[in-house]
Amino acid sequence: MDIQKDLVAASATPIVLSLLRQGDSYGYAIIRKVREVSRDRITWTDGMLYPVLHRLEAAGFVRSTWKTADTGRRRKYYRITRQGEAELTRLKEQWDVVHSALQRLAKPGRTGAEDV
Amino acid sequence: MFDLESQIRKWRTHVQSTGSLGAQDVEELESHLRDSIDELTGRGVSVEEAFIVSIHRMGDAEALHDEFAKVSTENVWRQLLVPAADEDARRRHRSEITVVLLLALLGGLLGKIPALFGHPVLEENALIYARNAALFAFPPVAVYLIWRRALSLRFAAVAAVTFAVFALAVNVYPSYPPHHTEVLGVLHVPIALLLLLLALYAGPGWRKSSLRLDFVRFAGEVFIYSVLIGLGWVVLNLVAGAMFQLAGVDVTPLILNWLAVFGGCGVAVVAAYLVEKKKGAIETIAPVLARIFTPLFAVLLLGLIITMALTGRAPSADRELLIMFDIVLALVLGLVLYTMSARDAERSADWWDGVVLTLVVLALVADAIALSGIVGRLAAYGFSPNKAAALGENILLMVNLTLLAVGYCRFLTGRSRYQTVIDWQMRYLPTHAIWAAFVALAFPPLFGFA
Repeated sequence: MDIQKDLVAASATPIVLSLLRQGDSYGYAIIRKVREVSRDRITWTDGMLYPVLHRLEAAGFVRSTWKTADTGRRRKYYRITRQGEAELTRLKEQWDVVHSALQRLAKPGRTGAEDV
Repeated sequence: MFDLESQIRKWRTHVQSTGSLGAQDVEELESHLRDSIDELTGRGVSVEEAFIVSIHRMGDAEALHDEFAKVSTENVWRQLLVPAADEDARRRHRSEITVVLLLALLGGLLGKIPALFGHPVLEENALIYARNAALFAFPPVAVYLIWRRALSLRFAAVAAVTFAVFALAVNVYPSYPPHHTEVLGVLHVPIALLLLLLALYAGPGWRKSSLRLDFVRFAGEVFIYSVLIGLGWVVLNLVAGAMFQLAGVDVTPLILNWLAVFGGCGVAVVAAYLVEKKKGAIETIAPVLARIFTPLFAVLLLGLIITMALTGRAPSADRELLIMFDIVLALVLGLVLYTMSARDAERSADWWDGVVLTLVVLALVADAIALSGIVGRLAAYGFSPNKAAALGENILLMVNLTLLAVGYCRFLTGRSRYQTVIDWQMRYLPTHAIWAAFVALAFPPLFGFA
């Protein structure tokens, strides 16, 4: 299943922030993790993750540091900031609204209005 | 045989050439690429396949460029001064800027030495400053390279001795009218000293042709940066001079004796730092410049040759024309070297190499004309320092251009690789500097310091 491009772009920020809230990580691990949790259904063009990360950093939602792995390879690790956590909460609320609206609409014969 | 390292290097160059990715961005992407390749090969995929899959997953370089460009609104010049990511690199960065500024100051102080001996910046002292120019501007660059490369004491000693020898020779030799040997020294000292800088730039591996080629690129880019910064400096000084003039204060002596001296002597090391630091910024400009000027110089040479054939004016009759010829030929050689350094040695021959060959052949014809002119003048007027120097240079150029022409022909006909052309040229390169050193050091005593 291919997810529409706009949806991929819109979901990238909350997905990345959620992942980083579970612990610091670097680009390659993030991509792998996303593939894993979505059972290969969300696949990003690898390179595109980095502009997203850099934009998040510029906005103050994440901070980055270079670390050297045991293999000697240098990796840039990202850590979520308090500001990033707040942003994540905000984004999640938005997604929940959209998600529950879709869910209710998907059930035939009900508008969902009576649940409110 | 699939060579992963060279493939990654090419990919990196390609990604960098799009312009919007900084060195750190590229490093991050490369680290990602290597992780991806490692994982795939760990699963039993061949290295070549893993590389191709990983590149594919990374995505199109153009699209990457667009995305990165949206993030980095700063232009390349500002990236230079944006603090590096981690604390360690930041500290190194800061200390490097301090070192460079101190060295620029050192250049300026060297430039004040003539004033110490009672020769301020005045027209009658022009020759003193001209013959020492390289000895003011190059030592800071040399110290910077020694410091940056952490070179052994032996390199430092060689550098110190070389500068001392040239400084002594240039300033202790007497000079009698018409000062021809002295003027020759002005022109040849910088060329000779470039060989020293090559040794310091390349360090212990200075015999390797790849490092020599890197130095050619380095020198060319330092030159471009210096000219750009120098122009800015001149404009600044002119504006400052005019402003203070209006305010009723004459600051011309201050500008000439301090700002001009410090700016002129310090610019080279600052430019060297910029080139070292931000290799990517101008790497994209260099090939463009080479492409613009190679055909233009070919047309210029063709025009010169045709004009001389039509007017029948032998260059032997005209000293100035002969000198202009030599300057054009030296520029052509510089241009070909520069093109060489900007070219990917692995790329196969294309029409562009034909253009370069045309330029080389035209230069050969022009050199032959110049040589015949010099021989004619030698026969008519006998030996003089100028003619002897010109003769030597033209013979060296002739050999060099022949090497290039033969190399390019072999390459274009598929009989050798481009690397061979580079190797030949790089092995020949020091010859020019050695001859220049000979002219600067041995000519004055040989020709009675006239």
